[in-house]
Order: sequence, then C-alpha cells, then structure tokens
Amino acid sequence: MSKKVIVVGAGFTGLQLARTLVAEGVHVVLVDRDPDKVQHARNALDCTVVESDGNSPETLSEAGIASADALVTLTDDDEMNMIVCSLVDADYPEVLKIARVRNYAYYLKTTATQRRHADAMANGERRPLFGVDHMLNPDVEAAASICRAMSLGAVGNLIDLGGGFGIVSVDVYPEGPLDGLSIRELASKPEWKYLISYVETEDDAILPDGNTVLKAGDRVGILTSLEDISTLMEFIGRPTEEKLGSVTIFGADRVGKLVVDHQFSSRRASAFAHAFGDSSKANSREIVIIDRDPVRCREAAECFSDARVLCGDMTDADLVREEALDSSDLMVAASGNYESNLVMAAYLKTRGVKRTIALTASGEFDDVARKLGVDVAIPMRDTIVDCIVSHLRGRNVKSIHTVCNRLFEIVECEVALGSRAAGKPLEKLSESGEFLALLVQSKGSDEFTVPSGKTIVPARGRVVLAVRAGSSRTIQLFTGRNRI
Amino acid sequence: MGVSLLRVFSYILALAGVASSLPFAIALIYNEQSAIWAFGVSMLSSIAFALIIAFIYRKVETKTLNIRGAFMAVGGSWIFLSLFGALPLYFSGAVPSVTDAIFESVSGITTTGATIIPDVEILPRSINVWRCEMHWLGGMGVIALVVALVPLLGMGGMKLIQAETTGPEKGKLTARITNTAKVLWFIYLGFTLAQFSLLLLFDMEVVDALCLAFSTLGTGGFSSRNASVGAFMNPAVEWVTCAFMILGSINFALYYRFFTARVGGIWRDTELRAFLLVVMVAFLCVTLVQLPTGEGVSKTLRDSAFHVSSIVSSTGFMTADYTAWRPAAQIVLLILVFIGGCSGSTAGGVKVIRWTILFKQLVNEFHRLVHPHGVYTLRLNGQPGRETLVPFVASFIFIYLFSVAITAFVGALAGLPTFEAFTASLSMIGNVGPAFGALGPSATYIGIPAGLKWWYCLAMLAGRLEIYTLLILIGSMFSLRRALGSQAAR
Repeated sequence: MSKKVIVVGAGFTGLQLARTLVAEGVHVVLVDRDPDKVQHARNALDCTVVESDGNSPETLSEAGIASADALVTLTDDDEMNMIVCSLVDADYPEVLKIARVRNYAYYLKTTATQRRHADAMANGERRPLFGVDHMLNPDVEAAASICRAMSLGAVGNLIDLGGGFGIVSVDVYPEGPLDGLSIRELASKPEWKYLISYVETEDDAILPDGNTVLKAGDRVGILTSLEDISTLMEFIGRPTEEKLGSVTIFGADRVGKLVVDHQFSSRRASAFAHAFGDSSKANSREIVIIDRDPVRCREAAECFSDARVLCGDMTDADLVREEALDSSDLMVAASGNYESNLVMAAYLKTRGVKRTIALTASGEFDDVARKLGVDVAIPMRDTIVDCIVSHLRGRNVKSIHTVCNRLFEIVECEVALGSRAAGKPLEKLSESGEFLALLVQSKGSDEFTVPSGKTIVPARGRVVLAVRAGSSRTIQLFTGRNRI
Repeated sequence: MGVSLLRVFSYILALAGVASSLPFAIALIYNEQSAIWAFGVSMLSSIAFALIIAFIYRKVETKTLNIRGAFMAVGGSWIFLSLFGALPLYFSGAVPSVTDAIFESVSGITTTGATIIPDVEILPRSINVWRCEMHWLGGMGVIALVVALVPLLGMGGMKLIQAETTGPEKGKLTARITNTAKVLWFIYLGFTLAQFSLLLLFDMEVVDALCLAFSTLGTGGFSSRNASVGAFMNPAVEWVTCAFMILGSINFALYYRFFTARVGGIWRDTELRAFLLVVMVAFLCVTLVQLPTGEGVSKTLRDSAFHVSSIVSSTGFMTADYTAWRPAAQIVLLILVFIGGCSGSTAGGVKVIRWTILFKQLVNEFHRLVHPHGVYTLRLNGQPGRETLVPFVASFIFIYLFSVAITAFVGALAGLPTFEAFTASLSMIGNVGPAFGALGPSATYIGIPAGLKWWYCLAMLAGRLEIYTLLILIGSMFSLRRALGSQAAR
C-alpha cells in the first residue's frame, strides 16, 4: 500500500510538492477551489485533483482523508490553512498535519505558545495547537537559509548538513584547477581532502565515480567540513573574503527584516564575548537596509536602531554611489520581488560588491543566477517544499535538500534497525549511479565520517546520501518501510 | 457647561478652605489673633460658597465638559484659587495692598516663589505656613487633588488633569484616572513627610521644617526666613533640601513605576537620564568656575549643588547670593532656567523632555544631511516613532520664547533695566522666583510698578499651566462674549 497525502491548495508550491511526491510514488490528492488551477493541475500531474473548498469535511472525506497519512495545507489564506488542519484534527488526530502560515506573528506566537505548552505538560501528552503538527513559515525558512549562507561567507550555494559538514556547489572554470581532472586524479592530490558529491553538466546530472572527468562549465557539489571551506575555495581558485564587514540588504520585507534581526540578535548574543576582548568572534557587521517603500523603511528604522535604513531606488546609480553601496562586501537581495532580486544582485556585483545572495522564486532560477554571477541563490519555493518533504518522509528522515535542478536530493536519514542496509558494507548495496553515501555517523557519536566502500552501515546511526530525486526506494533501504 | 464649571470652582474653593485649616490651627496654637480672624473668614466663606452652589444646583445634573470647557475649568480654577489664597494675606494685614496680596498668592500657587514681602520673619507663623502650603497645593496641581478626592464622574477628569499637568505627553498610570491622581498625590505626600521628618531630625523647628518641606516638594521658593535656606546655617538641612528639590523635579509617574517595578526599571526613561546629565554637567561647571574664589571646597561644593538644584527645579531657594558669583557660573544658572525640570513634576521651565526631543531631531537632521535617502526615527524611552511629537514641541517652545520676549518688553516698558527685565521675565514664566541683577535672590519684587505686578501674575499662571491653557481660557472668554453679543443682537 502506498502512502497517501492530501494537499489543499494547488498553487505553485502545492504543484511542486505534488510533483515531488508523485515522483516518489506517493498517492497525492490535490484539493483546490479554483477551476483554472484544478484544470492546470489535472493536465500537469498524474494524481487525483478535487475541485472543491478544502474547508469542508465532506470534501476531505471524499478526498479520502480517512485513509490518508498526511495533510498539507498550502492555500493563500493562513486562517484557512490552520482551520482545515484543525477540522481534520478533530476527526482524525493520527493524520500528520502540516500548514503553511505566512503571517509571521501567527507563526511566532503559535510556536512560542506551543513550546510553553510542551514545557508545562510534563507527561508529553499534548495536542498541537490548531491541530497543526508542523507550522511552516516560508519567510523564516528562507531567512534561515540566507543567514546560514552569510555565516559561511556566501561562497556559493551551501547545504549545511549539520555536524560541521556542508556541500558547496561551485563551478568548474576553464583552465581552472579542476578542469579536465578525473575524480581519481583529484583524490590522489595530497591537498584534496574533499568529496565530489554530484556533478551537474550542461544537460544532465550524475553521481560521480572514480572515472568521471570534470569539464569546464560543470557545476560540482563538494562535500567539505565547514572549517575547510576557505582552503577549498583557495584550492579551486576562488578565495573567500576574510570578513564580510559591510552588508547591504535590498528589501525590507519580511525576509529582509528576519535576516537583519538574526544578524543583530547574534550580535547581541556575542556582546558578552565582545566585552571580554574576544572581538574576533563578535559580529561587527555594518548593515544597510534599502527599500523603495517609505512605509517599510519606516518600520525597518523603528525595528533596528543599529542599521542604516535608506529609502530609495536601487537602480539609481547616484544613490548607489552616494551611499557607497557598491563598496560593501556583501549584498543580500531579499525583497518580495524575486526577479528584481536577481537583477539587483547581478547589478551590484558588476559595480564591485564582493559577494551577492539573492532570494529567488524557485530552483528553476538557479541557472539564471549562476549565469548572472550571483554567488548564492536561495529558492523560496524549493526551501519550503524541501521542508515539507522532509517532514513527510517520516521520523527517520532528518532533512532533505534538492540540488541540480531537482534531479538529486541530499537526504539525511536515520538507519532503521530492521532495514535492509543496516549492518552491511556500502559497496554491497550500491548500484552505481543510484546513490552516493556522503557521511556516516554511528549511533551515540556526534561525529560524521566520510565512508569508503567497506564502511558498514551502522544500525540506528545516521547517513547522508545523495540520491536521484524521487527514488524513495533507495531511501527505504536505510529507513525501512515506515509510516509517515 | 456653566453649572459644571461652577461646580469645579466650588470644589476647588472648598478644598482650599479645608487646606487653610492647617495654618488656622497653627494660628490657634501660637495665638496669632489677626491670622485666626483672617483664616476663619476665608475658610468659612469658601465653604459657604461651595455649599450654596451645591444647594442651588442640587437638581441639575453634571454634564461632561468638552475640551474647551476643561481648559476653562482649569484656567478658571487657578484664577479663583489665586484670589482665595490672597484673602488671608490681605485680611491679616500681612500684606496691606490688594495687588501685592494677589501677586504673592499667584506666586505661591504657581510655585514661583517671588515675594513682595521685604521681611518675612515678622509675619505670623501661620501666614508663612499658608504661603508655603500654597506652593505645595499648586505643585502637584489642585485639579489633580480634586479628581483624586471627589469622583468627578462623567466630567472628564482626564481632560482636566491633562490641562493642568506639564510636559508634551500626558498619560494615565492606572486604569482609572481617579486612582492615578490618588497615586501621584500619595507619593507627593510621602516625599513631603519624609523631608519633614529628616529636617526635624536635623534640629529644625516644627514650623520652619513644615514650611521648608512644603516649599521644597512644590519646588516653590517661599521661605519662613529672609535669607532663605541659608538662614538656618545648617549644611545637613541644605543637603536634604537639595536632594528633595531634585526629587521634586523628576516625573512623579517614574516613582510609581519605581515602586511597582513595572517597566523593567526607570533607567530606560530618556528624560530622567537627560535631566541627571544636565544636573551633573551644570554642577561640575559651576563648581569648577567657583572653586578658585577661595570659599573653601566643602562650601563651594554645597553651594554649587544647592543652587544648581534650586534653579533647575525652578525652586529659587538660596544659601548664598549667586548674583555675586563669577559671570560664567551665573550664565550656567541662567541656562538652567531655560531648561527646567522634568515633565509631570512640580518644576517649571520648558522641561527637559522638550529639549531632548529637539536635540534628537537635530541629530537626525544631521544624519539626513549626510544620507539624504536615510530613514531615521526618534526614540524616546526605547520606543521608536516619536518624531510625531516634534511639531508640538517646536510650537510650544516658540510660544514659550514669544511669551518671554513679550514679558521682557513689558518689564522694560515699566522701567526695569534690560538684564533685569529679561531675567525676571524668564523667571516668572519658568516659575523660578528670583531673577538676576537687581532682582536677585536677596531682593524682592515689592519695588516694581503695580501694572507690571499684574502682568507678572498673568505670566506666572501662563508658565505654570504651560501657556496653552491660559491662552485657550482667554480666547474662550472672547468667543463667549462674541456669542453673547450675537445673541443680544438677535
């Protein structure tokens, strides 16, 4: 019996989520009240699409909520998303419910209250608020990704795997140190202590083996410990800036404000360290926020007394020169207008800004961002879909990141005791090109290690895998066939 | 509205009548015949007036005052109160002229402390207590006291208190305005008792201590001695008085927060920090300027601290004649007259918070010059977005300085020398009391022309009620006459 997920709301995110899940063989039921969207979804996807109001118990039982494993609400209306979860929770408390809540105040207050409840109820017997098991706020997730990228120097799209490891995606330059080398040649170099996790070529993406040869124009994902990022970047000829001292934030919308808030709160936390002379760790970034909208600027100025808020048009070359924005070290384009984020990031890059981060609509724009010279592109929709999918994968899947135009996924999962992989060496499991084990962590230890073919998969430990998108069967090798 | 106004006036008068029972009792104890008669008559007449009003209008329901009505009620009350305060002074023969008695009474009620009595030591003790008690009543505000004691239900107590208290922002501390007024008066009373007991502890006579405590907390300046606080020759008394002058010129709402520990701590209050900074800087400047004059370190420290507090709190006590000080020290004191105390305190002047707001606005303007596209906000007490106050503050300072200019001009017309005319005008509108030059702390206002005394009465009232209230009262009186006139024409 395959899993069944009901998705309410067939917008861009709903469709992308459904597509991802359908590819994994999940039985998806899409519900939307807009006939046009329903028609579009029917044409585009191989799944059940119900044209109805998600807000009615009849519709949901017609969609088969009784036999469903999970419910994801992704309508444009926060209240609707929460109410649908709440309704379902009353009848089917065992269904996993995930709601997208865009309103930051709702999100903040609900999660805070939830935490308070959890503390108050010692016996662990608590019902989630509004029946929502996981409340997701796209802005919070995107801002968290941006902050992660900032803290690592914005060297390129970086996936933080936890445990001090990450995957950096970098381009292979013509005549660069990587150009023309095979993986085996690369591995024989003494200063090479990294692992190529995937290779993205012009029209395909592959999981590399020893014979794979890197060519100019490829983009590769390199597994590295976070401490070694700067040496890695030096090796491939793109040294990281020592310190990103001045940051320009374009857009004082929700994401922009969350990013600034995070910068200042980490500074406040380190103020103590600063007072005792440990200034090397203290975050002393000079932050400039620029937005076109006077109301948003006013709000930002009121929130952040330490940041300089400018109200103006970033395309105004005089303004950029006057305020010396072109000499800032890092530019984060995080406005609600994703297209102008890309353009502005690229524009300032040409004016001399050292690094740029742009918030984009989806992973489809990764290529464009790369061609425009934007260092890091944070895809809004993919961030939230990844987050939902990792929740849907069940308890054993810890996190999931899509890469290479959604061809591959980086999955971190726990090895179930009775799974087929547990206790076997990796080379026995591997069908070439199916997956690549990047990191292994045995039960009870905090450290990840880079495995070889002989490494035994530790039962109840953790593995990080690079797999083809949608190959849930591969993941089930490790996680076993558990319910969502 | 007329009945509501009359009711407010009658409450105020009754209250003042009750308050005058204290000097009445003192007159009885010390057997001061003229004063017993004077206080008895004033007390009975005020209470009789209140009872008559209450009887005549017993069936008329009180209507809510509109905003203009509230301003009229407050302005009118203060005028009535000034007239009442003059009665005992005149009847007892302590002040033989009506003009002088009213000047002395207005100076008392508005906590100015400018006296026309050359020798206060020959006055009956009860009269001195009454002069200082007027400071005390006017300091925290009689309207607030009425609101605290009489439930002026449905009369818009908040509007009344707003027309009386000082500062650009006026809020409630508690959910009910009656409770707010009670809390403020309770704190005020507590401080007064504290100072009174401390003074007794330092060997002061009961009546002198009572006068000094009333006068200090009201930040008034009347004294039971000709040489003011200096007459007691007691450094401990000077330090205690100095401390309570400062306490009296801090926003009383802060004490409520301090005692209830509601908002984190009172240190976040922008005005308090600015005020303490001003006091410290002024103290340092005066001390450094005065040290080389060879008065001795402890005397110089004490005198500088005392006069800085005395002037910044608009009290006007003295322990030395600062008009004989070096000019630089005098100028520092003159600047303090301009600055004044905190809003919501008993002190006068422009108020520290207004200068702070303008200063912060200035800083923002500087930033804006360098970054024309920058967006800046004005923070008070950590709260952003307070730049909305800037126009109100700017226009207040305009009307304040305009009033000072007019009053200085009137003073000069009446024959005062330039410097005296200017500083007396500042002193009157700032409710300080003594001025500089020939009208310094050791002089009195007895010698100035009668017409100027009347003008100064108006200036003192305007200063205490922060000008707008009095302007609206005068404006309302004109429009009232116009309205009556047009009615008559019809």
